[in-house]
Amino acid sequence: MVEKVINLKGLQKKFGKFQALNDVTFSVNAGEVVGFIGPNGAGKSTTIRTLLGIIRRDDGHAEIFGKDVWKDSIEIHKRISYVPGDVSLWRSLTGGEIIDLFIKLHGGGNKQKRDYLIKRFELDPKKKAKGYSKGNRQKVGLIAALSVDSDLYIFDEPTSGLDPLMEAVFQEEVEKIKEAGKAILLSSHILSEVERLADKVVIIRQGKIVETGNLEELRHLTRTTVTLATERNVAEIAGVNGVHDFEQTDNQATFSADNQYFNDILLAATKLGVTKFEAVPPTLEDLFMRHYEG
Amino acid sequence: MREKFTHWDSLFALYLKRDWKKIIVWILGVGLFSAGFVSAFEEIAKGQGLVGMYETLKNPAMIAMVGPTPVESAADYTLGAMYAHEMLLFCGLFAMIMSVLHVVSHTRKEEDLGLTELVRSFQIGRQANSLASMMETIVINALLALFIGGVMMSFGADTISAEGSLLFGASIGFAGIVGAGFALVMAQIMPSSTSATGSALGIVGLLYIIRAGTDVSNVDFSIINPLSWTYLTYPFTENNWIPLIFALIFSAIVVIIAFALEGARDMGAGYLPEREGRGNAKKSLLSVRGLFTKINKGVMIGWLVAFVIMGAAYGSIYGDMQTFLESNEMMKQMFSQSGVSIEESFTGTIMMVMIVLVSILPIAIVNKLFTEESRLHLSQLYATKVTRGQLYWTSIGLAVFAGLAGILLAAGSLGGTAISVMGDSVTMDIVDFLTAGYNFLPSVLFFTGLAALALGWVPKLGKLVYFYLGYSFALNYFGGILDLPEWFSKTAIQSWIPQMPMDDFSTPVFITITVISIALMVMGYLGYSRRDMVEGA
Repeated sequence: MVEKVINLKGLQKKFGKFQALNDVTFSVNAGEVVGFIGPNGAGKSTTIRTLLGIIRRDDGHAEIFGKDVWKDSIEIHKRISYVPGDVSLWRSLTGGEIIDLFIKLHGGGNKQKRDYLIKRFELDPKKKAKGYSKGNRQKVGLIAALSVDSDLYIFDEPTSGLDPLMEAVFQEEVEKIKEAGKAILLSSHILSEVERLADKVVIIRQGKIVETGNLEELRHLTRTTVTLATERNVAEIAGVNGVHDFEQTDNQATFSADNQYFNDILLAATKLGVTKFEAVPPTLEDLFMRHYEG
Repeated sequence: MREKFTHWDSLFALYLKRDWKKIIVWILGVGLFSAGFVSAFEEIAKGQGLVGMYETLKNPAMIAMVGPTPVESAADYTLGAMYAHEMLLFCGLFAMIMSVLHVVSHTRKEEDLGLTELVRSFQIGRQANSLASMMETIVINALLALFIGGVMMSFGADTISAEGSLLFGASIGFAGIVGAGFALVMAQIMPSSTSATGSALGIVGLLYIIRAGTDVSNVDFSIINPLSWTYLTYPFTENNWIPLIFALIFSAIVVIIAFALEGARDMGAGYLPEREGRGNAKKSLLSVRGLFTKINKGVMIGWLVAFVIMGAAYGSIYGDMQTFLESNEMMKQMFSQSGVSIEESFTGTIMMVMIVLVSILPIAIVNKLFTEESRLHLSQLYATKVTRGQLYWTSIGLAVFAGLAGILLAAGSLGGTAISVMGDSVTMDIVDFLTAGYNFLPSVLFFTGLAALALGWVPKLGKLVYFYLGYSFALNYFGGILDLPEWFSKTAIQSWIPQMPMDDFSTPVFITITVISIALMVMGYLGYSRRDMVEGA
């Protein structure tokens, strides 16, 4: 049996009359990277803050390492690292000072790791925080969180403000902790940010979980876009099971196809003499857009 | 020249349009503060008031604070002379500080914000912005000078002549222009707008301290100090316009220097490099206490220094207290009581007033924790092994410490100054003053407790504690004159505490209020430990 690092069941949270979280249920297993995706304001940060005991749930079940996230928060915090979505720093302290402070207050930091990460992320630790851009503030949070040894890492939109080069550095570092068998919860409103790292994706919208599964499973839910050209009239294909949005120009057609009907479609196509066949794998982006638009 | 100042006039017009509200508030604020107290001073001047004031202000400690007067005998000390003596330096300082802030915000701050970059891409000269800002500040200060002169004249007081009023206004206006000059130079030299503001204000502060020294030792040396060109005009007595000529020449030179410096530097860069900070934290920072001490340090030092100055100011009155209080019906009612010496009854009342002010600091420190929370500074800390209790009790502890230190400094400085000016006639020792101060400790704890309670349950109301503090202050200060019903005065927490040294110490009151205050803090903790941190909402 796999140990469940995060276990959420039926989480509810209201702010006044606004239902911020409605029955949020998902889990993160040991050694698993979970992408937590949803549009802005969907409840990602609220869920994470509940997990950290920053805010208190109204109802439901929330555990990390099998401990209650509210009552045993301090026990839990000893084994986790967290970077908020908007890293806000004391203007009069330098980046280096803040990193040291965070590491110290977390406990169990590693000086070499810290210096190595400062170099990797190309941060100037001697600058006062008021001089940092959004991306540099984010680096301070990330370096502090990655310098300590934890069993669970929670990143809330970790790469916002980072340039693509630094985003790549971040992904490499996360891959390292993934290989070390740590659990990671990675929230984002952009899929591509988590696609490379995540084993599993949880999609939240308006405080509700609308989709959970590994990337492969989710891909099956989508359709493949096919471009087909044939010697004889391609129009016949339009009638085959599993073909949608059929559009024809001369002998060439573009349509989307349900993956489970591929065989039927191919059989029908070979009878017409295939001259061109292109299949574009499903983009998850389409799936998310569908969920986002509701 | 063209490439330097092209279209400065359009920027100038734009600034006037953009700033008109600020300009009105500025002129009304500084203007009324400078000129509006004539009737209040007429009150003080009644009877033997002028003589009393004259004797009081001859004291070196007072000269160090407000400056000298050319008047050589109490008989010549008119209302106008007293007004200029007590007000002019502070009003000049006020005008200077306003100009410094304004000039930096329109020059270096706009560079830091990237606005200048945009403006320069149009057909605008490289130095047009500085010229426009400087002209705007000069115009504002000129209007301010005329406004002050007009208001002063409007009171129609005998000794406040038309020439004197204009000179009084002009001295304040020129102080503003000199300040603007300092700011413009610093805006070129320093690496950022914050350091430009800081260093320009630093220069003003330094000039104030230097003039305190020269005014006390030999006032002739003060004439080389730009800040002294305000009060050395001696309006209503000597009406000396010459210092303003110095101010005019000095400002012109300073502004020319600033433009030369600006012409030779790149946008966004100063002549001094940005100072490098520490790459690693000092050990003393690496704890919740270290962090909170660090982020409250500026406020703490600022207020503690203010407490010392406040104590010294009140303490310096003790020397001529008899003359001073006897002369004024209002003061007499506020501070005297039958059966005890005037020094003792004054100590009792003034200590209560001072300790109310000391309470500001602990309230500010407790409220700071909520400010930090709503600025999201603590987000990452919540996810560490730091408990809410640690955050809360560290703040409370720091606040209580600040309260203890505040009382020590305020009461100590009051006592120290009082004893030194009383000389042979001394009736109290320093311990009397300190006990009188710490006697009010429960009230400081009470305010801290109220702020803590708000922090725990309804942090947005934390600011309301200041209102209650202001209310208590007003009640204590004017209670003696107004003859309020007993229950009404008791709504201020300090009214429950006996005023030492004229009353005896009351152990039950001391303990009761202390216990209530601690209970408030504990209740606040119960709320703090279970409420949502605001960032979720």
